[in-house]
Amino acid sequence: MRSFNGRRQRPEIVTRGIPRPRPAWIERATSADHKSVGLLYIGTALVFAALAVAELVLMRIQLIVPESTIISPEIFNQLLTVGGTTAVILFAIPLALGLIGYLVPLQIGARGVALPRLNLLSYWLYAAGAVAVYASFLYAPSDAGPIAMAPLSEAAFSPSNGVDAWIAGVGLATAGFVLFAINLIATVSGMRAPGLAWRRVPPFTWAASASAWVLAVVGPAMIAALAMLFIDRNFGGIFFSAGDGGGPLLYQHLAAIYSTGLMAVALVVAAGVISEILPALAGKPLLSHRATAASLVAIAVLMPLAWIQGMYAAPLGAAWTTGAMAIALALVLPFGTLIYIWLATLWGGAIRLRASALFALGAISTLAFALGLELALAVIPVGWLLDGTAAALAAGTYAIVAASVLAGFAGLHHWFGKLTGRQLGEGVGKAALAIIVLGVHLYAIPMLLAGVDGQPADVFQYFEGTGVSGYNLVASIGAFVLAIGVLVELGNVAHSYGHGRPAAHDPWGGTSLEWFALSPPPPHNFDVVPDVRSPEPMRDIREAIRMRTETFAPPASHRRARPAEREEAEQTDSSGTPVA
Amino acid sequence: MGPRSGRPLIAFALVLLGALALASPAQAISLAPETPRSPNAEAIATTYWVMLAIAAALIVAVNGALIAAVVRFRARRSRRPGRTPSGRGPLRPALAGLSLLVVALVVFGVVMTAAVRDVDESGPEGLEAALTQTAQVGISGVPAADPFATDAPEDPAETSPLEIDAIAQRWVWRFGYPGGEAGQGLFTYGELVVPVDTTVILNVTSTDVSHSYWVPALGGQVQATPGSTSETWFKAQEEGRYAGNSTIFSGTGFPSLRSWVRVVSVSEYRSFLAALGSELQDAQGAVAEDEGEQAEEAEGEAGEEEAP
Repeated sequence: MRSFNGRRQRPEIVTRGIPRPRPAWIERATSADHKSVGLLYIGTALVFAALAVAELVLMRIQLIVPESTIISPEIFNQLLTVGGTTAVILFAIPLALGLIGYLVPLQIGARGVALPRLNLLSYWLYAAGAVAVYASFLYAPSDAGPIAMAPLSEAAFSPSNGVDAWIAGVGLATAGFVLFAINLIATVSGMRAPGLAWRRVPPFTWAASASAWVLAVVGPAMIAALAMLFIDRNFGGIFFSAGDGGGPLLYQHLAAIYSTGLMAVALVVAAGVISEILPALAGKPLLSHRATAASLVAIAVLMPLAWIQGMYAAPLGAAWTTGAMAIALALVLPFGTLIYIWLATLWGGAIRLRASALFALGAISTLAFALGLELALAVIPVGWLLDGTAAALAAGTYAIVAASVLAGFAGLHHWFGKLTGRQLGEGVGKAALAIIVLGVHLYAIPMLLAGVDGQPADVFQYFEGTGVSGYNLVASIGAFVLAIGVLVELGNVAHSYGHGRPAAHDPWGGTSLEWFALSPPPPHNFDVVPDVRSPEPMRDIREAIRMRTETFAPPASHRRARPAEREEAEQTDSSGTPVA
Repeated sequence: MGPRSGRPLIAFALVLLGALALASPAQAISLAPETPRSPNAEAIATTYWVMLAIAAALIVAVNGALIAAVVRFRARRSRRPGRTPSGRGPLRPALAGLSLLVVALVVFGVVMTAAVRDVDESGPEGLEAALTQTAQVGISGVPAADPFATDAPEDPAETSPLEIDAIAQRWVWRFGYPGGEAGQGLFTYGELVVPVDTTVILNVTSTDVSHSYWVPALGGQVQATPGSTSETWFKAQEEGRYAGNSTIFSGTGFPSLRSWVRVVSVSEYRSFLAALGSELQDAQGAVAEDEGEQAEEAEGEAGEEEAP
């Protein structure tokens, strides 16, 4: 009877020995249902979103005025380290994984995942990693920087045990990501509904699969780097120590492979989310399903391969840096294709400006800033000018805000009803979007200007007379605005989770199979697994239902529909011939 | 719908501009990097401006198209979504344009990278030219104390750029000059002094963690990596004092790892080296006499080479 979850996936009549219901939190913590695990990922990631912006605010308080001494350098560097780790490893990636873990099995018409307990384990590894990183606040967290670059993170220069806690925490979380990826790859490979060939797989699932492969490749690289660093620090290793024949550049390479891979995951998943929302809310299919999938895969493959694009100043052969530049610039093609497809999908549509659509549009707008700046930084001489400065920080901020905050919240708005059975507040969401967009520009544009004027990123203070004081003041204000926007939206999520209005099962007229399930779906997801005949199975289902019911129901045009019903009607009418 | 949906955008732009205007009580908002004073810095600045223009064009194009799409195709009672054209047709021009852009960018990047890397010869005002003259004229002697004189090429045709060792440690730069008596280098901490119009080659390395050498007016960043040496170069075209930072996080003193390059005339450079040499001798004498700590106090810039 302990195989409670196995029982959930294969419904059967049980006449006796029904287990007593356990407390909800035990059920939540131990359920291997992919939906429960997905909600755990999303909820935990959102908690860390709040912590990440809180740490950003503290750092920006220190940087309001030049030569400030509000926060000591040691504490600032701890905030820098933990804040950077929180923003990417504890918030951005887990949020993407939560959406993926919840939605991909639904999108492919599966009744579960291939390795449900591995999936649950992946969450608990991530949670354990987060605890390891934050528990170090009890003594002294790592101050070795967001990626703990060796040799700075070696025991000789960073003796604090916080670095060891950081290594353990990031290692555990990364191991969790890898296990998650293994489960996802197995699930998507083996559990797609009949007829759901790869050419019909929805863009979000394409993005999820490409991201899972990226994590499965770059995650072990980082785990290896962390293991070597741990050996260096604690067991007399010399992997990264220059004097003894070790290679300081080795850690830099491995960490760059990992961080570039994580950025690729965040961007690809965001692109997948946007590619789902725009067609639904514009009432038009994507311009090209095939080119979208190809672009997502191209980004996932090319971007981690260009890991050297942040290391142009390092002692490397010219062929390496030139090759990295060529790969990084080649990314213009998939990113440009995606943006073109999105614009062409909007063009001629009837765009319903719901919060999800506005967040997606905001994400594309912000992404344009991120990609424009990253494009400039990809050219070697500009990298020599701006790498490691506040300008590169601005580009990175644009990227993570576009990909994880805006596209992440867009995805939450789009699927919140499916996830929780309740609607995510529209008005508050739109207000939060406006605040976040204002905040990110107020923060990143002055940072860009300061970086061009020579201010390094990651400094705990800057000096009078270097011409960056005004920029830092405005950037601090922008960071506070950004933090308020994020917190407002997090409050919106928390409130709607408990008190939102009930959601419909198919509110947007989506075309993939998650809209065929109830909101929220039952433990087994689908009573009937449909045959898939096109890339837009839900459109076919809706069409079939309409054909069957048309003879019996009075035509919709006979009565004046109220707005909510009108949308429903529009979707039904607009279902044209599926594009194969 | 147009004016109504435009209003928040205009308000947004105004707030943004207002905030940026706040930022500049003392300074003009400028996207310009520090004025380049060296050929490699000039090439970097050119690349930066071209890439900034391309980035700005892409940002404006994407955002403009987004706004246009939302304003024109917002859902209304009368609007039915159009059909999406099928097939590869509509995608082809975009793919072709983007591919061309990629090729053009790669070519541009490779050419400009080569332009920055390409080491110029020293100019007529520079150190070698002056040495050559001295050697040719053979009189107007370099002061005997000038340590550089011992290093001067015998053959006037044989010229080589000035090689400086730039060694980073937490959190100060040490610049080692060629010349000096055998066995004792000439060096300064924090500030590098070089002659104008002279090609300078920097051999950059670090003794502890990774740092980066970067003086924006005189060229790009180069990583100081423990255990390996990176090379960079510059040829300062104007006398002056130029500031730089490290951009690689290095712990608590990170912001104070700054560097300055003071560019002086050739004669000033010579007398500077001479003074440095004699100070070094004095200091050594002092050290020999009374194990002195005076060495560092007497002259902050000239020090003893990590004598135990």
